[in-house]
Amino acid sequence: MSSDNAQEMPVTGMANRESEEDLQRLRSGEVAAFEQLVRRHHRALIAAARPLVGDEAEEVVQNAWIKAHRALPEFEGRSAVRTWLTRIVLNEAKMLLRKRGREVSLEDTTGGDADPQSWRFGSRGGWALPPRYWQVEGPHEVLSSDQLLECLQRLFGEMPGNQKALLEMRDVSGMDFEEICNDLNVSASNARVLLHRARGRVFELVDHYQETGEC
Amino acid sequence: MLKCTQAVEDANTMHTSKLGWWRRFSLFMHLLMCHHCRRYVRQLKMLLGAVKDMHGEASDEEVERVLKRLRESSGS
Ligand SMILES: [Zn+2]
Repeated sequence: MSSDNAQEMPVTGMANRESEEDLQRLRSGEVAAFEQLVRRHHRALIAAARPLVGDEAEEVVQNAWIKAHRALPEFEGRSAVRTWLTRIVLNEAKMLLRKRGREVSLEDTTGGDADPQSWRFGSRGGWALPPRYWQVEGPHEVLSSDQLLECLQRLFGEMPGNQKALLEMRDVSGMDFEEICNDLNVSASNARVLLHRARGRVFELVDHYQETGEC
Repeated sequence: MLKCTQAVEDANTMHTSKLGWWRRFSLFMHLLMCHHCRRYVRQLKMLLGAVKDMHGEASDEEVERVLKRLRESSGS
């Protein structure tokens, strides 16, 4: 039952992790390597910035790329490149908001949003409606259908911005949870609830798609 | 014995921050006995692996826009 073994957590994505060779090329300023870097991470960075700065996400990420390009020769590789890039984006976003006289905070809009998976459990805390078995070979197959990705975009459009931000920062960009809480002015207990709800919503979407072939 | 709701919460926490050794142990014991939670944990892990790549790659135009700005900023 190794694939069910909790000891293996947490997961680290391989597809968006640069190899040591990639890093060498990036540090030495190779244009093609930087181009590949932009290709790999640009959209994820914009998605991370959007819940914080809305339509200005693209501008924020553009500026972050310029800073990242300058800082790359000194990149030590202590975190994944995407995590490092997201940190730069977050700083840019905070700077922009400060200029506008605003602060980043995910704290304020928590209330009223129920746990998207509570209906699955009985009154004694056991599964009443367990998730169905997903017919997938691995992570790369979970979100491989275009239709499902479209539904996911729709779901993100409806999701509270603070839930979306936490999912992007923690699960997509791999930032440290404590760091996110500090940077985004949100308490750990609140952030945990928000993040778990965001995951629950996406889980439910995939589960429903697995069951019905639509969403 | 851990309830399934708690197991789900703790499994999530393991992907979020740190879970103390006792809670980790309790979760592990629960998973040995509960195949529904085992399935949930396995699928959550796959889901979190999948979301890392869900935004896909940037188009040629998007990449070019970034590189153009970069050239302008270093050229000036
Ligand atoms: Zn269980």
